[in-house]
Amino acid sequence: MPLLVVYLKELRDALRDRRTALMVLVASILTGPVTLVLVAQFISGLEEKSATLKVRMVGQENAAALVNFLKRSDVEIESAPKDYEARIKEGRLDAVIVVPQDFEEHYLAGDGAKLEIIYDDSRTDSGPAIRQAERLLRAFNREAGMLRMITRGVSPDLTEPVKVQHVNTATPRQKGAFLLFLITMFAILSPLLGGMTIAIDSTAGERERGSLEPLLANPVPAWQVVIGKWLAAWTFATGVATLTLGGFVIAASFYARERLAAMMAFGAPEFAQFVAMVIPFAAMTSALQILICTYGRSYREAQTYVSYLATVVSFVPMIVMFSGLKDSFWQLLVPVLAQQVVLARVVRGDGLDILDWALPAAIAFAIAAAAVVGVARLLREERIVFGRN
Amino acid sequence: MIEARDLVKRFDGVLAVHQVSFLAPDGEITALLGPNGAGKTTTLRMIATLVAPTQGSARVDGIDATKDPLAVRARIGMLSDARGLYGRLTARENIAYYAALRGLRAAQAEESIERLADMLDMQPLLDRRTDGFSQGERMKVAIARALVHDPPNVMLDEPSNGLDVMTTRNLREVIRRLRDAGKCVLFSSHVMQEVSALCDNIVIVARGSVVASGRAPELLAASGRDNLEDAFVHLAGGGVA
Repeated sequence: MPLLVVYLKELRDALRDRRTALMVLVASILTGPVTLVLVAQFISGLEEKSATLKVRMVGQENAAALVNFLKRSDVEIESAPKDYEARIKEGRLDAVIVVPQDFEEHYLAGDGAKLEIIYDDSRTDSGPAIRQAERLLRAFNREAGMLRMITRGVSPDLTEPVKVQHVNTATPRQKGAFLLFLITMFAILSPLLGGMTIAIDSTAGERERGSLEPLLANPVPAWQVVIGKWLAAWTFATGVATLTLGGFVIAASFYARERLAAMMAFGAPEFAQFVAMVIPFAAMTSALQILICTYGRSYREAQTYVSYLATVVSFVPMIVMFSGLKDSFWQLLVPVLAQQVVLARVVRGDGLDILDWALPAAIAFAIAAAAVVGVARLLREERIVFGRN
Repeated sequence: MIEARDLVKRFDGVLAVHQVSFLAPDGEITALLGPNGAGKTTTLRMIATLVAPTQGSARVDGIDATKDPLAVRARIGMLSDARGLYGRLTARENIAYYAALRGLRAAQAEESIERLADMLDMQPLLDRRTDGFSQGERMKVAIARALVHDPPNVMLDEPSNGLDVMTTRNLREVIRRLRDAGKCVLFSSHVMQEVSALCDNIVIVARGSVVASGRAPELLAASGRDNLEDAFVHLAGGGVA
């Protein structure tokens, strides 16, 4: 079967390409898991920062009542270094409470004692520390205010007519969903990356090398050549995606015994569902890549077109993330969006319907088939085979 | 046997080939001789079924190129204008790829590759990647690739382009051997000396049309000149002068 001959040749050719090895190494094995580990580290860092109650103060000797309150609340008080402002700017300190000398005097007189919290809110990772300092000061405020009202015979409930209690329904896993959102993005982008080199090389590259014309002079119908090339690109796209996702499984397993374990649930069942979604998706992306690369006049032009495709595709997860799109049936009909939505559901631990897989898969295969037919048509056009000027 | 009948090709209103007819019989070497841009490559491409003729027909061993292109391709070995190789594959793999595409079994292909390697004097090249090959080495691989299925008809588009003297001489020897094996050899060239040294039949093409054809003595007689170069310039309409 000639299409098998083309398929095997393209695979062998691509496997010997140093760019392939590099792509597999960098993109699939490193990028994904490393990102995941960094994000996880960042998150656990945030949790640590707010878990141990600690404030840094300047002039604590001027606020005996406040220091007393903080000590009663099990807060560790640390004197801030002299150059605290510079340190905050550099991001080495999060927030410092500055007590002026006349604080105690105004506080006792009850005429608006002032305190300062110094921080740099352009540094997002200092947010929890700032909020913690605010919360502590507010609590101190409330306590002092209540005591004063009680001494004057006023019920403190008057100033707090509504009592708000927080009940968060998100499971730890859903909290981690934003983190796992990354995995869906990689699942969608990695087939594009995996199929790219081979798609360009076997079409625009083949023409630029001057091997397309002799290839087409063989007694093999153009559609067999195209299917062989497409299968090779599809294999690579699926392979790189599978490696990427496998990397995530390994990375997630590092966290199995930690507090993050619940947030990082990405094990064998999730992996299997992801791969099942990605295989038909990769069929579509690699067929589209081959189509646009065949149209490209040169290797460079093909590269440009392929990166446009990747950009368009990578916009979809962003749109979903920022538009707050609610799940609904029509989304299953839109390529890329469908994959994004279904994979997000997998990540959240929601159950999947067979339709959730079958519908996007059917649409992806239909688009792949149309693209393959399109490439076979293009290869019958003289201006495509012999190049245009 | 290759036969062109009133081949016409028009690209976006430009007439590239206009009513080209000729016959290239088996066991002979036929040359399409003409200046650059005369329509030689387009004519060969129409015969090889890579380009569809606007009018007219091409037949290879009696098979119409537009009606059964796959059968025609199977009966031709073509060294085209584009002769790119796959740099990451060895010479042997490059040739074996084409053998497989033409339905040769692995053993057949191997035998054929050995035979061609001996004929083209390229045994030491076989298992090297073609990446760093010289022009001449590439040419050998491209020829072996075109001939791996032992086609009865061989077409070569400007085969000596970019080759040094030694390689050109070897190439001529190969072409003669193909003729002696009873194949129909059709090649295009703009080099007068090459054609006169090699060819049994000459078809002179200029501005898309056949201006004269026949054996060398016949062409001399028709032009009334005493050497082939003058005859060519005269018959081609003094295109270069």
